[in-house]
Amino acid sequence: MITVAGIKRVLPHRYPMLLVDRVDDLVPGERLTARKAVTANEPWYQDLPEGADDREHAYPSVLLVESWCQAAGVLAAWDLPNPDVLTGQVMLFGGIADVVFHHPVLPGDVLVHHVRLVRSFSDTVIFEGEAAVDGRTVLEIGRVVMAMRPATELTAEQPAVSTKEIG
Amino acid sequence: MPGAVSPVRGRPEPAADGAGTAAVLVAADEPVFPGHYPGFPIFPGVCVVEHVHLTALATLPKPGLRLAAIESTRFLSPVFPGDRLEVELAWQEKDGAWRCRAVAGTARGQAAAVRLRFTEETEEGEL
Repeated sequence: MITVAGIKRVLPHRYPMLLVDRVDDLVPGERLTARKAVTANEPWYQDLPEGADDREHAYPSVLLVESWCQAAGVLAAWDLPNPDVLTGQVMLFGGIADVVFHHPVLPGDVLVHHVRLVRSFSDTVIFEGEAAVDGRTVLEIGRVVMAMRPATELTAEQPAVSTKEIG
Repeated sequence: MPGAVSPVRGRPEPAADGAGTAAVLVAADEPVFPGHYPGFPIFPGVCVVEHVHLTALATLPKPGLRLAAIESTRFLSPVFPGDRLEVELAWQEKDGAWRCRAVAGTARGQAAAVRLRFTEETEEGEL
């Protein structure tokens, strides 16, 4: 088992965008099972009007995908962790395809992400899998393509005004 | 849909001419930035997809459609705090399913190409 402290040694994501809580099983280069507990205490729920029904409390679809992709990121980076986005090799998502949302996910649900590594090239990794709540598939991921790139490629694209801000 | 649960606070403003375009400012105080990433804020790719999703919801061809699938997304360049994001979106109906194809871009060029599929509320999507 890898706890959240271990996950933070691998991923650069932090609150409120660290969306993996625990890794239950990891076979390097092959597969991973991780979980994320959804709670109404996340900042996205702040502006929800009083009287919203259950459906309106559904966890944002794109964050289900982000959480799954972060789990894939743990698998991709396990052998070469780099929790700093400003140096070395960073993970970039090049593309996502065939993602199907089957059921809404609500506060109190625990997402269990199943990530399988399909193919690995020199600097590109392809994943597939699904996410389940209480054994029921809520999300299918057909393909996620992740590329490892030098951090300088990303920092070079940043507009000048923001570069000043990070000094 | 102001007030809906969403990782982004900005809301795309559809163009008045109904041409299927919308624009939104990616404000520096978007709640995702402190954690994505500390010291180097980049607008998450899924949040660009969310702006396409919100633009789609604001231009629904018929009521009651909800997001069923992300058929594809290609991330082409990063989006940073202060960027103005423009979304160009076109709806298409085929075999009873509604799809939209969109390109989102900043002043520096295309940021993402996205294809979404929508469905009418059905039992499969029930709680």
